[in-house]
Amino acid sequence: MATASETTLVTARNESGTKWWTRFLDPSERTLAMLLLLPAALLLALIIVYPVCRLVWTSFQNLSLTSGAPAAFAGLENYSLMLEDPVFWETTWNTVLITLITVPGALLVGLALALMANLPFKRKWPVRLSLLIPWALPLSFAGLIFAWFFHSEYGVVNDVLGRLGFEGVIWFNSANWAFAAICLTIIWKTSSFMALIILAGLQTIPRSLYEAADVDGAGRLRQFFEITLPLLKPSIVVALIFRTITALQTFDIPFTMTRGGPGTSTATLAMYIHQNTVDFLDLGYGSALAVFMFVLSMGVTAVYLRMIRAKG
Amino acid sequence: MIVNRTMKLLLAGAALTLTASAAVAQTNLRVFVSSQHRPDVWRKAFDMYEAKNPNVKVTIETGGNTSEAQAQYLNTVMTAKDSSLDVMILDVIRPAQYAAAGWTVPFNEVLGGDADAYMKRYLPAYAEANTVEGKVVALPAFADAMFLYYRKDLLEKHGIQPPQTWDELATAAKKVTESEKDTNLQGLSFQGKAIEGAVCTFLLPYWSMGKQLVSNGKLSFDKEAAVKSLKLWKDFVDQGVAKKNIAEVATDDTRKEFQAGNVLFAVNWSYAWGQFQGAESAVKDKVGVVKLPAVQGGQPASCLGGWEWGVSAYSNNKTEAQKFVQYLSSPETSEFMAINAALLPQFPDVYTDADVTKAVPWFASARPVVETAKARPVTPRYNEVSDIIRTTVNAVLAGQSTPEEGATQMEGRLRRVLR
Repeated sequence: MATASETTLVTARNESGTKWWTRFLDPSERTLAMLLLLPAALLLALIIVYPVCRLVWTSFQNLSLTSGAPAAFAGLENYSLMLEDPVFWETTWNTVLITLITVPGALLVGLALALMANLPFKRKWPVRLSLLIPWALPLSFAGLIFAWFFHSEYGVVNDVLGRLGFEGVIWFNSANWAFAAICLTIIWKTSSFMALIILAGLQTIPRSLYEAADVDGAGRLRQFFEITLPLLKPSIVVALIFRTITALQTFDIPFTMTRGGPGTSTATLAMYIHQNTVDFLDLGYGSALAVFMFVLSMGVTAVYLRMIRAKG
Repeated sequence: MIVNRTMKLLLAGAALTLTASAAVAQTNLRVFVSSQHRPDVWRKAFDMYEAKNPNVKVTIETGGNTSEAQAQYLNTVMTAKDSSLDVMILDVIRPAQYAAAGWTVPFNEVLGGDADAYMKRYLPAYAEANTVEGKVVALPAFADAMFLYYRKDLLEKHGIQPPQTWDELATAAKKVTESEKDTNLQGLSFQGKAIEGAVCTFLLPYWSMGKQLVSNGKLSFDKEAAVKSLKLWKDFVDQGVAKKNIAEVATDDTRKEFQAGNVLFAVNWSYAWGQFQGAESAVKDKVGVVKLPAVQGGQPASCLGGWEWGVSAYSNNKTEAQKFVQYLSSPETSEFMAINAALLPQFPDVYTDADVTKAVPWFASARPVVETAKARPVTPRYNEVSDIIRTTVNAVLAGQSTPEEGATQMEGRLRRVLR
């Protein structure tokens, strides 16, 4: 039993593989099709291909706006600097760690939220609205709010801990606690997005399947693992792809919560790119870092796409 | 009919000429002033200039409540080669960077042959900070330095003199906080958050040991002194002189905590004084201010602050803008700003001017501190240098790395930047 989205994925594969449209078009129509596609292709080249090429080109240059010197070709200098730069390695590791913690975290919370929202409530809108709010909140805003929540003196978290008889924590004084605070915030912020996609997937599962399972005497848990989860797979993969890519680009929440502190222990790769380009105006080095991040994102996406293909 | 048309043409022509000549005569200058530096009072100074120069109209733009925020904005304007700003106020650490990037125009032509004599009128540190390779790249707007603020009432109560060394400060802080039994009272507040102020936090004891960070544009890092400096601050935290979350404390947090009466000693800039004496201050008339303590056997050192006026290289009115900046950086304006905004003068004489000492009596004792204040490293890559120092200070204070580890990391990273 294939769901709608699974079918789409399957056709998508065939499309790219065998160029099905050649069967329907004679050569003159093919030219016309090309012409019709041209504006879109040009637009794509202008807003995606050109900036990426420009980025790669800049990454091979010595281009620091504070030096007053004109740009000079530097070959792989920026990349070799990157490999020797401990902050680059630290921020990359932090980014990977944030991804490894928050993506599964947001998936689990999001799945739970989606299942709850899918319960037969009489009034559905208050549930859906409360799901939408964290998603609709700007990232930096969420970061600022949680920075206050976790403030060691004025924050609500330590206040609650105190009332429960625990000693408060100076969250942003230790890399581990600061990291935990950031991950919790990211999970809070992003799980509603996961929930929305999964909820959409849940609603495509026909009720009759559960009715049949009931008749066969399958319990709730069994129904979840045998019907719900397998049929949700495509939605989950889509949600994971989006979330993973945004996780690799994590910037706003650690930027507003800790500015990468204490020291540089919670700084992410995106923050380091921002710092080099915007604060230090070292566009050459910043571009090299950005190229690395681009390659990393592409690599992760490729892995996901391969997973879908393997399971398709 | 024909006469009528000719008349109309003539009138139209006359009107055109009039507007054209008016447009030529009128110069619009747009000035950027950071919002924490009393743009309201600067506006009055601008008005006085407009009154004397009817052909000049000055509009003010404010923004950036911290040096970093303000620099980010100006960096954007400058890299875009935007001509919308003519004059901008710059933190004392930036004229050298801006000159290296070619973002400001030198004043030498306007000042003529006696540029040296012109600059000699200012406090030496400001003449130096604004001169890069013989070129006057900006003119001083006002001076600043870090001071030690203390609770006069509490020290008197316990019969303690203001400390001369950091050790004395720690002893005094322990004695007072122990006998006061006020759990809210901290011994010392300073800047531990990863902000520009934390750079000064590191440099104060480091300089006090007679060490330099950069000399002749080259790194002259003394690792032993760096370890001692980081250890000094960390010990304050470990001994309970400073509070445990000092790594969260920014400049204005120190000001607020002291103003609320929760701090015995505080390291802060001159702006804090005015606020401590304000109507909403819990410590009004209970505050003393002295120069910062030294390390044992060292010389006291303060961090040089202050702000400068630069003229944008992309301005369409460079000459008018430079004339205007000369006015803004004159002894008269300095005196006006000292009296009305309590901004420290960049001229030695203004500190002892009768009108100034009447309005802000403590300025007389501020001058020796400003005179001995040291400038932070002058390098076009200062932003990177600053980031390295402040993140290290922050990490050490948070207990994330030891003073030894911090100094090692700092040295390695500084070496890469100041190759």
